[in-house]
Amino acid sequence: MSFMVNKIFPENCKAQMKIQQMVFMIIAITILFVLVGLFFLSISFSNLKKTATNLAEESSKLLVSKLANSPEFSCGNAFGTISQSNCIDFDKIIGLKEEIESYSDFWGVAKIEIRKIYPNGSRLCNEANYPDCEILKILDKDVKTLSYSSNFVSLCRKESDGKIIYNKCELALLMVASGDKT
Amino acid sequence: MKNNRGALEISFGWLFAIIAGIVVIFLAIYLSSKLIGNQQESISAETGTEIESLLNPLETSFESSQTTSITIPTETRINNKCNTIGEFGEQLIQLDQKSFNKWVETDVNVNFHNKYLFSNSEITGKKFYIFSKSFNFPFKVADLIYIIPATDRYCFVNAPSKIIKELSELNQSNLILEDCEDGDIKVCFGTSKCDINVDFTSNFVKKNNTKLYFTDDEDSMNLMYAAIFSDKAVYECQVKRLMMRTGKISSLYLNKEIVIHEKGCEDNLGGDLGTLSELAENLNGSIELESVKISADNIKIKNSARTECPLW
Repeated sequence: MSFMVNKIFPENCKAQMKIQQMVFMIIAITILFVLVGLFFLSISFSNLKKTATNLAEESSKLLVSKLANSPEFSCGNAFGTISQSNCIDFDKIIGLKEEIESYSDFWGVAKIEIRKIYPNGSRLCNEANYPDCEILKILDKDVKTLSYSSNFVSLCRKESDGKIIYNKCELALLMVASGDKT
Repeated sequence: MKNNRGALEISFGWLFAIIAGIVVIFLAIYLSSKLIGNQQESISAETGTEIESLLNPLETSFESSQTTSITIPTETRINNKCNTIGEFGEQLIQLDQKSFNKWVETDVNVNFHNKYLFSNSEITGKKFYIFSKSFNFPFKVADLIYIIPATDRYCFVNAPSKIIKELSELNQSNLILEDCEDGDIKVCFGTSKCDINVDFTSNFVKKNNTKLYFTDDEDSMNLMYAAIFSDKAVYECQVKRLMMRTGKISSLYLNKEIVIHEKGCEDNLGGDLGTLSELAENLNGSIELESVKISADNIKIKNSARTECPLW
């Protein structure tokens, strides 16, 4: 009996060693595949993030160049007989600020802001101090944003000196920033 | 065992290696197919977003229309979807692209709220012609964007001179004004034996036994074009969305009137704008457009009469 055990044990041991070798090998190969896969995935995801950021930035650049002409902003013929391009109706958008809840996802951006170039101040516009203010934050979502894209516009409104009503247009900067979704 | 000479003898090591190999290969194939699927979805989403960006420059200012084209490297099916959920409804586009001669369907929807795309629910091709026209009701409400695959040829028969002029100016090779060929989609004015028939007396476009109602000014036929190039589901949904926006912009002008009234301007449009806003937001279908148009026309006349302080 003891002879048989001695004879079997070395062979069993050899087989076990082989199985262990195989298991280690397979585990090593699997880990290698997983690592290569993870490396590939991380590259592809970082490219995807970069593409998403680029597209968002490109979108806000294109939007800012045309936003002033959208119906909620544009002057139309309100300040002259000929339609003006890149003209924002200040009298209209002060009302837009009050209804911005409805428009929060409308343009697909996180921030829309108008800054008067001159006088250069920091008073935020609201219904109470309108039009004696310099910065109108139309849309101001509390999210991380990409860099601002901007465009020069005319900011026009009706003014009165008590006798006549006249048009007053000032130079302003329309600024748009997309949310950073990465 | 020794007696059974015909049996195949496989050692445990080999058996283990074969099973493990099959598992590894199966996993590799499964993961790569998943990866390819994800890649397709990301390409569809990316192309959809790029299309959205490309549509931004089509916003009109003082010009009445703009035209462009997009070419996508692979055969693409654009699914034009629309819904009226929320304050402005939603424009959705979903792209399926051909891979190894088979459509790879993805469920990635690119959505935006400020665009109005008019086309059939499904359009297929590599090249698409796009043109946009400003929609005024009575103030500017939006730009209507029409997308037509380059392979679809529309032939306009007996078109009024104004439409001939407009289409000629667009200079799109698939919008034909003479010498119709077999396979062209015939659009007829006044007669009713074509694929699409336009009736100016009752203001509707008849196609596939359905009537799509439009209401346009003499100087702009934008909703008529929309009805020609879209199917019923897309057209009705987009008209509803346009009216939702009309209602919102009416409210903005209502506020503006209050603001400029304080500076001495007249305020004779408040009630009418309120009525327009209500009518537009409650529109149920294009058949009701005419009744909203009466209110819009009334406002247009009153606004034109305001020499010092027009609202738009």
